[in-house]
Amino acid sequence: MTSYRTLAPSPTTVTGPPLRLVFGSLLRADFLVFLKHRRALITSMLLPLFVLVSTSGNKSTQKFGGAEFVIGLAIAYGLLSTSLIGYALTVARDREKGVFQRLRVTPAPTWTIMTSRLALQALANLLLAIVTVIIGSMIHHISPSAGQYALVLLVSILAGAVFLSLGQALVGLVKSADSVQAGARVLFAVLILLGLLGQSGALGPFWSSVARWSPVGAVMTLFAGVLDLHSWYSRDTLSVLACLGYVVVFAGIGIRWFQWDAR
Amino acid sequence: MPETVQVLRDGQTRAYVLAEEREDGSLLLAPQPVPSAQDKLLAEDGRAAAVVHADVVGILHVRDLTVAYGPKTAVDGVSFEIRRGEIFGLLGPNGAGKTSTLSAIEGLVKPRSGTILLDGIDSRRHPNQARARMGVQLQATSFQAELKITQIVRLYAGLYGVELSEQQIGDRLREIGLEGESNKPFKQLSGGQQQRLSLLIAVVHDPALLLLDEPTAGLDPQSRRQLWGRIESIRQGGGSILLTTHSMEEAQAVCDRVAIIDNGALLTVETPHDLIEKHKNDPRVSAVAHGAVTLEDVFIGLTGSEIRD
Repeated sequence: MTSYRTLAPSPTTVTGPPLRLVFGSLLRADFLVFLKHRRALITSMLLPLFVLVSTSGNKSTQKFGGAEFVIGLAIAYGLLSTSLIGYALTVARDREKGVFQRLRVTPAPTWTIMTSRLALQALANLLLAIVTVIIGSMIHHISPSAGQYALVLLVSILAGAVFLSLGQALVGLVKSADSVQAGARVLFAVLILLGLLGQSGALGPFWSSVARWSPVGAVMTLFAGVLDLHSWYSRDTLSVLACLGYVVVFAGIGIRWFQWDAR
Repeated sequence: MPETVQVLRDGQTRAYVLAEEREDGSLLLAPQPVPSAQDKLLAEDGRAAAVVHADVVGILHVRDLTVAYGPKTAVDGVSFEIRRGEIFGLLGPNGAGKTSTLSAIEGLVKPRSGTILLDGIDSRRHPNQARARMGVQLQATSFQAELKITQIVRLYAGLYGVELSEQQIGDRLREIGLEGESNKPFKQLSGGQQQRLSLLIAVVHDPALLLLDEPTAGLDPQSRRQLWGRIESIRQGGGSILLTTHSMEEAQAVCDRVAIIDNGALLTVETPHDLIEKHKNDPRVSAVAHGAVTLEDVFIGLTGSEIRD
């Protein structure tokens, strides 16, 4: 009779490190980076401020569809600046330096690396939107209610998502940081001109319509809608759908073709 | 959970489930069902888990690994095994496939085919679980430029599931002589300091296998010797190491066994001493040797003298 020794079950299973600790570590590090870049956030406020101040006259305000549209335009441009140029360029540069490659050889799931960055960018977007609404309300003499502020925050999240997904698409399709920078500037200029000239009607009805349904136009319409809820109508609802569509398409492109290595 | 027993038969240990204990005292054993690597396993806390093939003896098994970038095959059917507690060197000229092999093991590139078992875990199916058991020092390391040294150490410790206090981080930095640099960003460190910090981060979780891609490239002789000492002390602590290098002196001084790879194919795997003994009379080696045959002579003899880019 052979005697046998009872042992622990074999084979066994193992897991990676706790997700809470992994994600917490990434968020803390990205927050520290965010704090280091606070000057960039302040600088990105300059464009919305310029829009708010340069349209402060009654005539100018009316030309752009009213105070609510102007504030919407200012927030849209600010978000476009931080998300398209700021976010996309930071990601492209970190990729080129090999920061992502170093992170990817850890057990952190790749979605945590990107989600942590996007979460901090969303925070920056919210801060920018709140400050712009407060300053815009003072300059253009409107008094949004607490509910409207809450709606502005909601729309800021959606608008930020539109421009972040646009930035993600750019950094997904273009590898080199220099090319991302050049592409972001061109896209930024096109979208700003489209917003300013198209929305003012200076380019005629066709371009006015294109501008209205462009990412900037759709976002502007939404901000104007929530700042003047009495005039909310079907076009605003369609703008929500347009924004969601942009997020799905651009984020899909940016995630599908994103490469972690710049080589 | 059924009681399991292990039976030594023909020199191999097999796991069985105790199916029945008969009245005469004999045991009826049934083969233990082995979870398939394809099975989606969950740990007690609901997170994804990986099967550990406990019958695997070596720390790393690479079988028929093929890595291709478009039409170009960088690694072509490479197989090797690293034993526990071994320092294994992967040598090869530029573009031979060293970094591609390492990248496949690290999960940075997706192999076209092949199997990689790290400490019993199929790293292609369970990359994150496999990465939790390996430490990596890349050829060109870059950390977030805005972070200070202590913040970088805390970040990467957290990513490996290790929570370190300020005191513990300070102690670890002291061990590598960087206690005075803790508030500096990574880029302000010298090459040797950067290398020491990268190694500290690579072993912050006491990995079963450490992967070092040209760890002494660009270091002065003092820093290089110091790093060799650290590599040896990691091995003495129970770690296994896979390193790539262009330095034959390094391979000879540090590695227990070396593999030479060229044009994506593995040419040989031997101890440095056996490699020299085996090939010292090879006409290709004799043709490039000046006096006593060295590991570098064997390397150049086997891979050719032409310069690679």
